[in-house]
Amino acid sequence: MANRSPSAFRRYRWKELGLLIIPFMILLLELTQLLLVKQLKGDPAASFTFRNLPTAQALIPMLGLIAVLLGTHILFSIFFPKTDQLLLPLVGLLSGFGVLMATRLGPNVNDPNLGARQLIWVILGLLVCIATLFGLRNMNWLRRYPYTWAVLGIILVGITIGKALSVRNLDSPTHDQLNIGPLNLQPSELLKICIIIFFAAYLSENRDILSGVTLRRLRLPPLRQLGPILTMLGIALLLFLVVRELGLALLIYGLFLSMIYLGSGKISYVIGGLFLFALLGFIGYGLFGYVRQRFAILGIDVVTPGHFDETLYQSSAFQIVQGLIALASGGIIGSGLGLGHPGFVPVVQSDMVLTALGEELGLAGLFAIIGLYLLLIYRGFRIAIETSDAFNQLLAAGLTSIFAIQTIIIAAGNMKLFPLTGIPLPFLSYGGSSILANYIIIGILLRISHNTAMEREGFA
Amino acid sequence: MISTSSEGKDMPLDVFLLILRLLLIVLLYLFLMQVVIAITRDLRKTAAVSADADSKTPPVVGHLVVIDSGPSNLTPGTPFDLVPQTTIGRGPTNTIQLPDSFISAEHTRLWYRNGAWYVQDAGSTNGTYLNNQPAREALPAKPGDIVQVGFIRFKLTQ
Repeated sequence: MANRSPSAFRRYRWKELGLLIIPFMILLLELTQLLLVKQLKGDPAASFTFRNLPTAQALIPMLGLIAVLLGTHILFSIFFPKTDQLLLPLVGLLSGFGVLMATRLGPNVNDPNLGARQLIWVILGLLVCIATLFGLRNMNWLRRYPYTWAVLGIILVGITIGKALSVRNLDSPTHDQLNIGPLNLQPSELLKICIIIFFAAYLSENRDILSGVTLRRLRLPPLRQLGPILTMLGIALLLFLVVRELGLALLIYGLFLSMIYLGSGKISYVIGGLFLFALLGFIGYGLFGYVRQRFAILGIDVVTPGHFDETLYQSSAFQIVQGLIALASGGIIGSGLGLGHPGFVPVVQSDMVLTALGEELGLAGLFAIIGLYLLLIYRGFRIAIETSDAFNQLLAAGLTSIFAIQTIIIAAGNMKLFPLTGIPLPFLSYGGSSILANYIIIGILLRISHNTAMEREGFA
Repeated sequence: MISTSSEGKDMPLDVFLLILRLLLIVLLYLFLMQVVIAITRDLRKTAAVSADADSKTPPVVGHLVVIDSGPSNLTPGTPFDLVPQTTIGRGPTNTIQLPDSFISAEHTRLWYRNGAWYVQDAGSTNGTYLNNQPAREALPAKPGDIVQVGFIRFKLTQ
């Protein structure tokens, strides 16, 4: 694999290295700011001298992350010189911000080691990403056994449900976690990937039938071919309604619609799916109190005080209202990392991390972060377009949709545009399983990009 | 820990932190710009490549001749044109479409690079074989080799 030809210098991934420089500067700058603020906070007369700058020792966590990112970059250059060069810098900067926010928010949620743990998860994630790249030498074993992936997904759901039912406390935020020794794993994070692999494998095998039947029988979806997918979807949705994981149900439904659209190219399916979704939404609204409550929060008028139901505010709207206040207090350029007051927002380290970012980096910083997500998603779809075979296309586009749908659901939830649901913001939220799952996705995307490039350049 | 403000070169902490904050925003947008520039360059390169590809229809660089039609209704001796990137399968997107129930929607891929053919199975049910070797990974092929797609056997010719 390793190409040590004279052109190795020219083939080196200079673009990736160049793009990594600014993220490294940003990460070091922000850690410096965080340490300065920690050291000097509470002293209004404090002034800055160079003696106050943190020592290299204090910067070790970020330097460690930078070293691991550089190591990953060098490994890619040796073994996968042709794989996409933009994903690593984008993802590295996003997860660097994740580590910074966890470090900054740790004291606010009474967990000083939060940052250190997030850092370890990110490093593990990068290792998992490299392992995925090496391990997926042959994409065919993903494609060949769609039902194995479906069954694996159902088992993961089953574990989640079993855990939730045994705890009998569906309101606790951790009811969907699985404790193995010291690890808190969320099986649902891996479920997303299994579902996408299943959809991609199934749809790429049945694509001709999907679009062929609709041509003859005016827009009637071929139920026989859609059967396995609908069954899978039904199981996932039903089980999530049982454990009250509204966010995941939404995510899975969104992924289902994207995959059907990508596989068939028919907008009528998406419109039909949205109608069905509205119908299901009404049923859910009528059946479940907590769904009604989530929607009631959307009607709250934050600007005129005393205008809303006090009990609603105390019970569940508190989180969102505090989040909105935090976002508003950030203004255009924000209060600066470490200088805001994100401690008022419940679960600020995971679900509400966007509000903390908005408060401390301001509107300008938030726009830049949304920009990072946009570029990441653009790149994912680009990888999908460039590859030549249907399974890889569907897989890459589907995995990228995970990022897109997750980001939009949770960002809209934080801003009271949509009922708030508990799903993590990719790479920024605190949480090991989510980081690992996201890095597996990045690994698969890089592998697809590598395969496409190899095929184009030939094996010589 | 806390510096005394008697030193002349001191800067109020607030001012320094404001500078850091502005620097961060500048750096963030510089990074975004750098990525966008990289993307535009990429797109321009791909556009140039595909313009090249569009200007001429893909050249026919070889043929697959049916030598054993197996269970299908192909006539032995039928030639199929091969372009540098050829896909074989039942689906409508393939270069060579074989409407046979033993052929998967996307069955086999063949591509021509640096004077040699490569054959790889595209995840089919009944497999692809090159000279009776299963072609799960890409295998190099030369004219005269026997390519078996499902139960149909072809001879690769110039």
